[in-house]
Amino acid sequence: MEQVKAQSQKRRKFWNEERKEAFSGYLYISPFFILFAVFGLFPILFSFYLGFHKWNGLGEMEYVGLQNFKWILTDPIFWKSLSNTLIMWVLGTLPQILVGIVLAYALNSAIIKMKGLFRVSIFMPYVTSTVAVAIVFGVMFNSQEFGLMNVILGWFGMDPMSWSTSEWGVKVAISAMVFWRWVGYNTIIYLAGLQGIPKELYEASVIDGASVRQKIQFITIPMLRPIIILTVFTSTIGALQLFTEPLIYIGRSYREEGITVVLYLYREAFANLAFGPASATAIILFIIIIVLSSINVFITNRIGR
Amino acid sequence: MKKWWMLLITLGLIMVLAACSDDDTNGDSSSDEGNTGNEEKASGGDDQVELTFWVFGSAGYDVLAEEYMQENPNIKININEGEMEDVHNNLFTSISAGSGAPDISMVEVSNVAKFMEASDRFYNLYEYGAEEIKGKYLDWKWQQAESVDGSFQLGLPTDIGPTTMFYRTDVMEEAGLPTDPEELAAQIDSWDAYYEAAKTIKDKTGKPISDSPELMFNAIRDQQESQYFNEDDELIMEDTVKEAYDFTTKMIEEGLIGQNALWTPEWGSAMEEGSYATLIGAPAWMIANVKGNAPESSGKWSLTTIPEGAGNWGGSFLTIPAESEHPQEAYDFIEWLVSPEIQLKSFHNNGLFPSAPEVYEDEEFLATTDEYFSGAETARIFAEAAESVQPVYMGVNYSIANAEIVTALTNVAVEGADPQKEWDAAIERIESQLERQ
Repeated sequence: MEQVKAQSQKRRKFWNEERKEAFSGYLYISPFFILFAVFGLFPILFSFYLGFHKWNGLGEMEYVGLQNFKWILTDPIFWKSLSNTLIMWVLGTLPQILVGIVLAYALNSAIIKMKGLFRVSIFMPYVTSTVAVAIVFGVMFNSQEFGLMNVILGWFGMDPMSWSTSEWGVKVAISAMVFWRWVGYNTIIYLAGLQGIPKELYEASVIDGASVRQKIQFITIPMLRPIIILTVFTSTIGALQLFTEPLIYIGRSYREEGITVVLYLYREAFANLAFGPASATAIILFIIIIVLSSINVFITNRIGR
Repeated sequence: MKKWWMLLITLGLIMVLAACSDDDTNGDSSSDEGNTGNEEKASGGDDQVELTFWVFGSAGYDVLAEEYMQENPNIKININEGEMEDVHNNLFTSISAGSGAPDISMVEVSNVAKFMEASDRFYNLYEYGAEEIKGKYLDWKWQQAESVDGSFQLGLPTDIGPTTMFYRTDVMEEAGLPTDPEELAAQIDSWDAYYEAAKTIKDKTGKPISDSPELMFNAIRDQQESQYFNEDDELIMEDTVKEAYDFTTKMIEEGLIGQNALWTPEWGSAMEEGSYATLIGAPAWMIANVKGNAPESSGKWSLTTIPEGAGNWGGSFLTIPAESEHPQEAYDFIEWLVSPEIQLKSFHNNGLFPSAPEVYEDEEFLATTDEYFSGAETARIFAEAAESVQPVYMGVNYSIANAEIVTALTNVAVEGADPQKEWDAAIERIESQLERQ
């Protein structure tokens, strides 16, 4: 009888050793979750809620069902912003990955001296302020004849472009910013991946008489596959959320040649005070990112097979 | 046990930090909001009242606030300076969230209507004595921050932007036009005359009369009594600013106007190069821009009256958000800050043009000339312009309409698009944005 009582008490005692351990563990990681709940989770949920309401930021919210989504999906400017974003994604991301791999390969080879310096300098653009980058590029891509890029075009006997208003000029300029900023970041990631490839493979290929191109094609790329998948993912999500560069570059005119989905969202919310449609745009963007990421999985799984 | 304490302290710290950063909407962690008084006792020994004050532009209010604090030791004013757009966005966000608004915020005229819609989040300055000083200011300026029914005053008027015509004397001379302000104003006394002058300048010098389609359009737009919207917020552009648009696009197509966009580096460097003849529709605060962009061109610029009556571009108001715990102290400070004599100081220090007509009778003020502008009587020309401005209802969606028109003008100027098509497309874009609110 006594024994049974003691046992049941033990069982009923909530704070046993294991529980205590677990609880202190949770406490240790709680700061992140608390901050995330306040500054991450709540805004996300609130945005979902707002997507079905009409709200100008000050007055009463009014439930409008799917009206906001209808507005967005029938707005030609939204589709324009989506196609712009996708074009800039391709223009910015593909060259980044190709150039990144080549650069990483070069930095990893034995020929190059002063590796540390190169590695640091190639990573520099990533830590530069985006706004500063956009302003400097804005000066370089000046539409006048004396703008740096137009002068360079002139050397090749081409006509000056209007970089701030023409359909492709704007996109190329913004993609150039994205490329410049992220290529170093991806290079460093590839470099880390390259360090993990066993030397024996290369040695064996040299004995078999492989050229540099064959080495890259048959050893480097297949071995780097998981890393490439990672960078494609991060670049995709980053490119779809492109915002600062176009905002600074085309300014608050929100010209449709350079408006991206997030810029469109921003204009809806803070220029037009239509927070409902803006939230609806965010939800649509979320869905698009999921879809594109799935397509990415599908494609990158085929690389290097 | 020790471990627990450490944990709790860490958690507590995080909470405190999160709470702090919450308070701080302007990213300025040195401001001690919410700690009114108790920290520093004034020399008089009474509790200090702290006022936060958000400003934009180079208003020079920091110097004036210092002066006020000297006279009133129980008041402490913390100034946060930001970009104009950012200040408006922060103010909007904070009154929308119901926390983090300052005691006093500057609001630019094109944003007044937006905040007027939320007039319950601001103190009505008529309840603090604004009625008594109403007569000191220009009617049209005062009305810009008054509700349509006249019962609510959102802000006290700071500076104004009556428009004039800045011009390059060297280009005018080369074109054989007069360089003296009065003679030039007599010669270019209507938009038709302006158009004729543009052709002369083009023939003689090969230069456009203006480099900015937007400025040309704004100059005529700002002379209209109503612009994009009527007082019921209906779009009425077709009957009001279409004329300005047509005139501007005609000039563009004949090569009389360049294609620089406002505020771009190339627009700034053109002021120094003198690659065009007139900076049309320029308000007083533009002087600082010209001097900053063209430091070497002193004596090559001058200014005179704009044809067919002045408009107004810009100028601000000082508002007191309803969150402020010290509305009376805040009001006393802004009443002092916009008083005629202090406005005169702002004019001399920072070129902010006064909105109180009694200043215009001040001999010293009227005698103000500017060496940079070839010794033109700047104050007198702006004062005359100020008297002829018509009150305009801008409407809450002013900037939406304006942004689309600028896009249309740019397309005509840079891409050579068809003006009528661009106009129609702009109207369509504006309407689709309006129906969502």
